[in-house]
Amino acid sequence: MDTLAIIIPFVPILSAVLLLLFFRQQKAIAARISVLATLLTFVFSLILLTLYIGNQVPRVEQLGSLWGSIWLDPLSLIMWAFVSGISLLVHMYSVRYMIEEPNYPRFFAYLDGMTATILFMVSAGDLITLLISWFLVGVFLYFLLGHDTDRPAAGRYAFWTQITYRVGDLPLWLAAFLLFKYYGCLSLPVIFERIAAAPTAMQLWGMSVPAWVGILVAIAAFARSAQILLHGWLPYTMDGPTPVSALMHAGIVNAGGFLFNRFAPMFEYTGLALHIAFVVGLITAVVGSALMLIQNDVKRSLGYSTMGQMGFMVMECGLGAMPLAVFHLIAHGFFKASLFLGAGDAIGDARRNDGVPPDPLYVSVVERRPAKPSRLPWWTAATLTILVPVIVLSLSHFVESSRLFFEQGVVILLFFAWVTGAQAVFAAHKMTHTNPWQLMGGILGSFVLVVLGYTLISYYFVDFLYSPSASARLFQSASIGVLSYDVLVIILTLLFVGGWALTFFADAKDWGRNLSQRWQGMYLAMYAFLSRELYLNDFYVRLSQVLLSWSRRLNVWFRWS
Amino acid sequence: MEWILLILSAILLPVFPLSWLFNRLVDTAPGCWGRALAILVLPQLGILLIYTVPTVPLPTSLERVILLLVLFTTLFYAFRALSVREVTIWTRLMASSGLTLDWILVAAGKNVHGVQIFALAWSLPAALLLVWAGLLRQRMGGAYLGLQGGLATVLPRLSSLMTLTALALVATPIFPGFFALLQVFHLLAVSWLWPLLILLLLWGWNIGRFLQDLLFGSYRGEPMEDVSYGLAAGGFAVLFLFALSTLIWSGTWTGI
Repeated sequence: MDTLAIIIPFVPILSAVLLLLFFRQQKAIAARISVLATLLTFVFSLILLTLYIGNQVPRVEQLGSLWGSIWLDPLSLIMWAFVSGISLLVHMYSVRYMIEEPNYPRFFAYLDGMTATILFMVSAGDLITLLISWFLVGVFLYFLLGHDTDRPAAGRYAFWTQITYRVGDLPLWLAAFLLFKYYGCLSLPVIFERIAAAPTAMQLWGMSVPAWVGILVAIAAFARSAQILLHGWLPYTMDGPTPVSALMHAGIVNAGGFLFNRFAPMFEYTGLALHIAFVVGLITAVVGSALMLIQNDVKRSLGYSTMGQMGFMVMECGLGAMPLAVFHLIAHGFFKASLFLGAGDAIGDARRNDGVPPDPLYVSVVERRPAKPSRLPWWTAATLTILVPVIVLSLSHFVESSRLFFEQGVVILLFFAWVTGAQAVFAAHKMTHTNPWQLMGGILGSFVLVVLGYTLISYYFVDFLYSPSASARLFQSASIGVLSYDVLVIILTLLFVGGWALTFFADAKDWGRNLSQRWQGMYLAMYAFLSRELYLNDFYVRLSQVLLSWSRRLNVWFRWS
Repeated sequence: MEWILLILSAILLPVFPLSWLFNRLVDTAPGCWGRALAILVLPQLGILLIYTVPTVPLPTSLERVILLLVLFTTLFYAFRALSVREVTIWTRLMASSGLTLDWILVAAGKNVHGVQIFALAWSLPAALLLVWAGLLRQRMGGAYLGLQGGLATVLPRLSSLMTLTALALVATPIFPGFFALLQVFHLLAVSWLWPLLILLLLWGWNIGRFLQDLLFGSYRGEPMEDVSYGLAAGGFAVLFLFALSTLIWSGTWTGI
């Protein structure tokens, strides 16, 4: 197991070196070597994960005397299997997709380099290895996004990503140095042991060191996972090659969720950063989903969908449900990779068949079917919408994990799951169908299956990743006062019910066409605000222009010396 | 006498405002090889001079002033480099920004060899980049980036060398600058770390702009001949050994 663990991250490195040194001109061989190396990495990762499930003993493998340690714990091993799996898909897809592109072998070498870096990042057992790999992910991503050097736009958007990543690197640097200075050690497991032994022993500027480090780690995670104010780069990564978009949105952007999980032993003793993460994640989820809805480009829409999903993932971390975030990032990774890799086919299909549903008049006259298919009675649909999700979700969670059922984080998660489920059932009710009971039955059946599968797998994850006591401590750490919690739940309920009511009446009474002049103006302003991506990128561009002009003036004053 | 030695050291191991003279000295050296030699040798001379001053390690009262000046210098030059597109000037400014951090090691009482090695983390990539800038000037008539984009396509070997060397200059892992910067973080108190974070941001911004101007776009100028395979291999070998030295002697670079 030890030798295999040390070999795994070096397999893609070896492939990258071989490609750059010996196969720069041989496309076919380069692609084969790269795919084979990734396949080996994936298979080895699976073997290691299986071996671990057998004996369940976490350990740290030391490669160098100061840094370079690999932490073989459940989180690392799951992430290794996930990362190498996604990387394998992207490699295989790239073999044909990138064949016409220049520097084909170099592209595969960068993909291998990126894979190795992420493998080191997710298994880093010490602060220096974590910092180096965290840093290098940004470097490799820059060159992957900017693979097509003929296009200045590719360079511009690669730069946006790189500078946002750098902003996210800074808090992690500071966090690493705070930990090193106060706990006198580089090893992450040892630092976490020392924190657990005395969580508030180290104080800095009126707060415990773990509280400061928690906030800094959270900010680093926000930048990597495109949380609000640091999200401007994400949709523009579409300008890179499609396989890179897939790798980016399926794997790299999940680094925030991973970071929260890596530092989970510390978050058991500091709740402030988790509360911040919940609020930031919630706002990001709402804004990301809103921005997704107004896009008219498939890939950009997928990009904003990722932002929304990352918001949910960070929110889960903020609620103390760390393993759920891992499950979320894996599930999201696979479905987003398949969406990106299939986006080209979908666009091709749309060119052949627009897929726009025929209007009732067309159906009635041309297809000779009933013009207005029936829907369920509104009270039946309303009852199903509200009751079925809450019963299914509550029962499944109660049966699986009754001990955590009354934790605040679990209740909030169930609340959001209920909202999502109700939204799905409500959307099904709005669809017209000749047999509405068949349609609703299908949706409800799928819902039950999804919930059961999700519950079973997520609770298996909880048991695999964290001990029951650690899980309970994380939920406790994420909890807030009873009064604040009740107020939060009431506000959230009002917001959701209000939002549904607004949507329902706007649709039923056709408010869109009957808006007064004043409301029309506000509506347009809101649309412009969203379509300009909250004017954040405009602000950053203007700020950088002002700073550059000051830099130029200084250079003139000092005669470039 | 001690003050004169310190002032001379502050010229050679640049600290604002005397760093202006260091930049003039490097700029007036003949040719790209001369400038490269200057940026390698002058800081080393400065370090040797510092350690001839009997009061080194520096008195505590002076330490704070020097620390303020050093942090200002490093940010000032990194900020100024942002708007520079001429490779030689950019390299000088970036090297000044990195080399000045040597004073933090001096103030912390590190031995002369440690400080000399630390200086190499910035002066060696700077020297290499000055040579690459000279080769670029020979081909284009000037080492000015941004006017002609797409050098990655027409000069793949030279632009690769420039890219890697510039990455080494801005403390990208796994080059020594990264580990040397870790040492600076390690030596400073927590309340003094924020300027270093801004510095990292400015260096990140600098390298982003540098690479954008160097690599991207379509080249529409006269055909150019890339550097020879032998020269490119030599350049890559030097950079590889430079990075390898970090992996082997991490403790020396980080001081941990």
